[in-house]
Amino acid sequence: MPRMKPAADDALDQELMAAVARQDGRAFARLVERHLGWSLRFVERLVGERADAEDLVQTAFLRVWQGASRWEPQAKFSTWFYRVLHNLCMDHFRARGAPTEALDEALPDGGPTSEEQVAGAQRGARVRAALAALPERQRAAIVLCYYEERSQAEAAALLGVNEGALESLLARGRAALKKYMREELH
Amino acid sequence: MDLTRFEACAEAYGAERRRWPAREHALYDRFAATPEGAAILAEAERTDRFLDAWEVREPDEALAEAIARVVRPRRPRTLWWQATAFAASAIIGFAIGFAQVRDDGSADLVTQLLLGPTSVREIGL
Repeated sequence: MPRMKPAADDALDQELMAAVARQDGRAFARLVERHLGWSLRFVERLVGERADAEDLVQTAFLRVWQGASRWEPQAKFSTWFYRVLHNLCMDHFRARGAPTEALDEALPDGGPTSEEQVAGAQRGARVRAALAALPERQRAAIVLCYYEERSQAEAAALLGVNEGALESLLARGRAALKKYMREELH
Repeated sequence: MDLTRFEACAEAYGAERRRWPAREHALYDRFAATPEGAAILAEAERTDRFLDAWEVREPDEALAEAIARVVRPRRPRTLWWQATAFAASAIIGFAIGFAQVRDDGSADLVTQLLLGPTSVREIGL
């Protein structure tokens, strides 16, 4: 499976942010190009819906444009942007209530044609439904540590917990997923 | 005790060493190849494979363009159109005004205010 980590080269991000602070549209487009892929995957796995994820990522990039002049490179751009995205997702959950969806609704739109594609889409939909059923913080911990492969220190800082609490969130989340998988078999 | 910790790490971080905290890599290396350790990792790997089944598709190019478009500076087309429309309406207004004055042969008060009585006389109204 493809790696989900953000593009490296923090120095380039800092240069681009300095240019964005001067309202340089080209630098902004470059920043979007570098970070859109991972940020969309991250948000889609957190909120579960592609359309919602696209809206949230668009809002996040708009905040980058509006707030670049106040940005101070104390942390990597990607770390700061993770926080922006994560906070937007939490606001989204608060506004909409806990996400719940039936498995049938979790199947993607548009028709894969072959049996293998259909089976793959169904497997993906089950994972999406299982993750959506987890408490938000457990889901966020799994998305950050498993899919995004962030370090424990970074994921813990993003979630505002210590590394021991992060480990507990991960263990409880994965235990719930195992239970979901067992129930699926019966 | 160490095997208990190994199991706790597998339950939290999964079966792959690179996802474990760096400080636990030695523990991973110590137990991964033992029968007990391998059984624990196999169990954790089932959850890993389950998670891997959700592949998120790449963003559409249209999304990147839409985001960039939001901040792209707009051409001063609005001002240009406004200036053109204003000039055109002024010219048309003057033309209609002159035509009406010529038709009834007299200069009304508005025309005199606009052009002045001298101007009106000079052009033979």
